[in-house]
Amino acid sequence: MPAILEVENLTKKYGDFEAVKGISFSVEEGEVFGLLGPNGAGKTQTISMLTGVIPPTSGSARIAGHDIKSDMNEVKKINGLVPQDLALYPTLSARANLNFFGRIYGLGGNELKERVEDVLRIVALTDRADQKIDEYSGGMKRRVNIAAGLVHQPQLLFLDEPTVGVDPQSRNHIFESVQRLNRERGMSVVYTSHYMEEVELLCNRVAIIDEGKIIAMDTVKNLIGILGGGMIYIGLEEVDDALLEQLTGLGGVKEAMLVPPPVAPPLAEGEDPEKETEPVTSNPIVKIVAENSQQAVVNVISFLNDQDRPLTSLEILEPNLESVFLHLTGKKLRE
Amino acid sequence: MKSLSIAIKDLQILFKDRGEVIQLFLLPLLFIIVFSGALGALGGDDEVERLTLPVVDLDGGEAAQSLLAGLDTAGGLRTELYEHANAQAQLEANDINRMLVIPADFTSGTEQGEQVELTLISHPNADLQETEAVRLVIAGVAGELSLESQILASLRQMGDMQANAPEEYQIFTTDRVLAQARSQFELSQTRPLIEVIETIPSKEGEREIVQSIGLVAVSGIAVLFVFGTAQVTARSIYDEKKVGSFRRLLAAPMSKSALLSGKMLPNIIVGLIQFIVIFAFGVFGLKWLGLNAPSLGNEPLSVVLVCFVICLCSTAFGIFIAALARTENQIGGIASLLVWGLGMIGGAFIPIAFLDQFLGPVVKVIPQYWANRALSSLMLRDLGLADVTTEIAALLGFTVLFFLIGLWRFDFD
Repeated sequence: MPAILEVENLTKKYGDFEAVKGISFSVEEGEVFGLLGPNGAGKTQTISMLTGVIPPTSGSARIAGHDIKSDMNEVKKINGLVPQDLALYPTLSARANLNFFGRIYGLGGNELKERVEDVLRIVALTDRADQKIDEYSGGMKRRVNIAAGLVHQPQLLFLDEPTVGVDPQSRNHIFESVQRLNRERGMSVVYTSHYMEEVELLCNRVAIIDEGKIIAMDTVKNLIGILGGGMIYIGLEEVDDALLEQLTGLGGVKEAMLVPPPVAPPLAEGEDPEKETEPVTSNPIVKIVAENSQQAVVNVISFLNDQDRPLTSLEILEPNLESVFLHLTGKKLRE
Repeated sequence: MKSLSIAIKDLQILFKDRGEVIQLFLLPLLFIIVFSGALGALGGDDEVERLTLPVVDLDGGEAAQSLLAGLDTAGGLRTELYEHANAQAQLEANDINRMLVIPADFTSGTEQGEQVELTLISHPNADLQETEAVRLVIAGVAGELSLESQILASLRQMGDMQANAPEEYQIFTTDRVLAQARSQFELSQTRPLIEVIETIPSKEGEREIVQSIGLVAVSGIAVLFVFGTAQVTARSIYDEKKVGSFRRLLAAPMSKSALLSGKMLPNIIVGLIQFIVIFAFGVFGLKWLGLNAPSLGNEPLSVVLVCFVICLCSTAFGIFIAALARTENQIGGIASLLVWGLGMIGGAFIPIAFLDQFLGPVVKVIPQYWANRALSSLMLRDLGLADVTTEIAALLGFTVLFFLIGLWRFDFD
């Protein structure tokens, strides 16, 4: 499959702050590609550069062969953008909104009418199309928001956190719409989210993005495979290098490592730096990457019992994108 | 075409907002009724007490006597004759507040149907409202005299021609005489023989004041509210950014200039509609209500042109406010100061001459001042396009300035 989107070393700076730090990736035609990362990771900035909302500071990208710097007008015709905000006019009806967004893409007459009816069908709002946006539920507004990005039939659709603040029913409807557009119309999709379940469900490949950098990129299966059988966090009273080596050698265990203690919060203004503070956690935590989580748990607990080392805490994480993100960054996706 | 789509969408949104429609179109009419009624009364004859008016009669003829008699009786003024030099000296010493000068050719000029000028000179410290009232009285009496003189002059002319013509060419029938009288009457309405010029001696020279206070309200409030539309434009851009649709427009295949044009076009259209509504009400509605109503002057097309330039300036002003303000509160604050505050001291309710006198050169940095000056000149002073080129140039200058600053500071991100 040829690539519809090729991004190379794309950067966005605001003064000294680097929001996007030279990211590179590509999306194949007909692919649903996920950008997974917490809020503020640089997902929206990346999409904004690729859709012409803001110019990149450096780097390049090509969409269907058109360079985003020299040929942005052509790129804009190919792209469809569904922004994170409900980018609609609340006092106008859904139909009036869609007509307007169609017209600014150069549509008119019967063609516009047909396209509007088509996207209303896709988001299942034909019956309520003449109602004001103000009168819609949050989920319905989200659906019209998506329809507005589809009305000109883009080849590449950018969906920026399309399910924020949406009820489960509307969320499912949005998922179905995206899958149908991809499957039936061959539309390529770049889907950003900080919900790993959505990305796991919808995307063929995923780039995990944090602090403006892509830290891992692969198929969902391969990314989860990094963790093998999942992760086990155990709290102990004392940990040394010899113990970590012994734990790594147990059956079902791939790797054992000490979790770095959390960074102390910055001092409040006027606070005495010499003042003694309570530690955030009293016991060291060991992270165990398991090849087989069940076998690893049994072996680790037996070993610690034999060693007469009491456990102060135990947490078992299933292998998924959330635990992959935690493994790679030490942070949770929704911190 | 895409700009037009944005403009149509913005107008749809605007006209769905009843509060906005009331503020843009009905509130100005309410203001006009209140201010025309209140301020118009200041210029009305009923309010004028029997003021003493020093008169320098350089003519001494029949027409001058008629004028003086008219002022004493119908005008409610008590005239006192002065020697020219004496009157001049007393005016300079502020012993008298104002004086009327009847020129030497007053009687002969009116008899021959030539235009003559009466000059009302007032001391800079004289009460402006009182002077305006006096001027209105003189203008009223002079107007009647003007009509009388014009008809008499034309009849006299016809009589002379009749006397000299052979009997077979005695063509001046009653019908022709009546037609001639009617034509002179109509002429006197648009081009009076006797014109009243008002001057205030000052260090810089003499300035002309020919405005009625009440009439200022119509053009002044129109300018105030058309500039007020700038606030609507600024808020529309802010709202578009707030809901995120601005990002969607930036992602569409259209240039930033087309986007901004689309946001500006509704301001021009709304401004023009405001002018139509306000002037229609000012010219016809006030008359119907029995209040003092202005006309569109001698050159209505020039008024249209000036209105268009004012709308352009107001639109650029909107972009300027949108570029400066980052929050809704800032839009409100900046608009209150620049649109409503400067609009008030830019001549919304105060005749231009008063502004010149009280605020001096400060008013010249206020765009609304130039807009009011242009409209006053055309509508109240019956001047033409050639007389308001400075005002138009100033407005266009402000338009370019606001637009350039707006573009420079505009945050497309």
